[in-house]
Amino acid sequence: MKSEPDRAGCPGGSHEYPNPILKTEDTTMDLMRQLEIEQMKPKLPDFCVGDTVDVHYLIKEGDKERVQLFSGTVIAVRGSGIRRSAVVRRLVAGEGVERVFPLHSPRVQDVVVKARGRVRRAKLYYLRERVGKAVRLRGNFGKQKGPRSARGTRPATSGGKSNPAR
Amino acid sequence: MTIGILGKKLGMTQVFQPDGTLVPVTVVQAGPCTVLQVKVKNTSELPEPHRTATTNLGKKRGKLARPRRADGYYAVQLGFDDQRERNVNAAEKGHAAKAGAPAKRFVREIRAAALPAVKQGDVLNVDVLKDVRHVDVIGITKGRGFTGTIKRWNFHRQPMSHGNSKHHRKVGGLGRTYSINKGVPKGKKMCGHYGVEQVTIQNLEVVKIDAERNLLFLRGAIPGHNDGYVIVKQTLKVQV
Repeated sequence: MKSEPDRAGCPGGSHEYPNPILKTEDTTMDLMRQLEIEQMKPKLPDFCVGDTVDVHYLIKEGDKERVQLFSGTVIAVRGSGIRRSAVVRRLVAGEGVERVFPLHSPRVQDVVVKARGRVRRAKLYYLRERVGKAVRLRGNFGKQKGPRSARGTRPATSGGKSNPAR
Repeated sequence: MTIGILGKKLGMTQVFQPDGTLVPVTVVQAGPCTVLQVKVKNTSELPEPHRTATTNLGKKRGKLARPRRADGYYAVQLGFDDQRERNVNAAEKGHAAKAGAPAKRFVREIRAAALPAVKQGDVLNVDVLKDVRHVDVIGITKGRGFTGTIKRWNFHRQPMSHGNSKHHRKVGGLGRTYSINKGVPKGKKMCGHYGVEQVTIQNLEVVKIDAERNLLFLRGAIPGHNDGYVIVKQTLKVQV
């Protein structure tokens, strides 16, 4: 994992949760939160909606286990606490495939960011209606700079701060 | 004794099993519960000083000792969660004091087939359920207020079209041929108040027990709102 870039404004991409040590009041709600925090991974991989990622997922083959990679674009991150999950979409032989990964699952070993994407939506469901070049997102790794390469993700008007991850 | 304990529903969450399976769980704080009283079937089973009661007949006639009747059944009366001092009346306070405990908010009996091994004043924790794989949970459901027949009795909706007008979620017929001389059938399902009723959910799997904090993790949902009181008992269902 890289050092954390400042991605506070990133839609749906927050991966912060309070330090359990700071939350020790024994009221019901905090106890429930405490129980979740105990089970959660101490730190989630740092990625955002729009990023292209490799999800390292443990699968069972016969009686052996191995890590399978699922590479695609994160089109949604939802849930909080231990319920946090990410929807990763990729195209396989022209057919869209989406998988939902519960991020705190012991099966999800790592999420490696291959490319950062700059998006202006928290949920990229509009990508489902697109194929080919239209699927590209601004800021994707090694892609052409075409300002209108993906419709709906027009350049930001707020001074166009470059993505610190690139 | 039927193994059981009183508790409080804390809320739902999910846990991952080591193999990655995701299990939806309800967390119940089960215990500590104080045994407020042990109900017995026969007088001979009452503690020695309790086998007789005295009636005061006045200054001159003195006191009359008479045998005290037993409860006629076996049960353990448990108390859970301390009641606030200002909400306690003398009777409740005195009853709990016999067990050496402050008055309890939630007091229920758990029936037993034979004389229970526990004594008045004992404190039960969640580890009474440590060998139990499945439990039944009794709770009070959330109140739904005044509801129609569709929500309350799972009636079907009437057509949205085909000439139907403003009769989509209504009760419908009440049994006309029957009603001609007998009136509306007794027990006819109609709209009305729904919820706030005792419901038992049977055969819930015990996923995890946290003995340190008296927490019980049960697979699936249980009746009632968070912070609602529940009774957790070993299931009646036969385990295979």
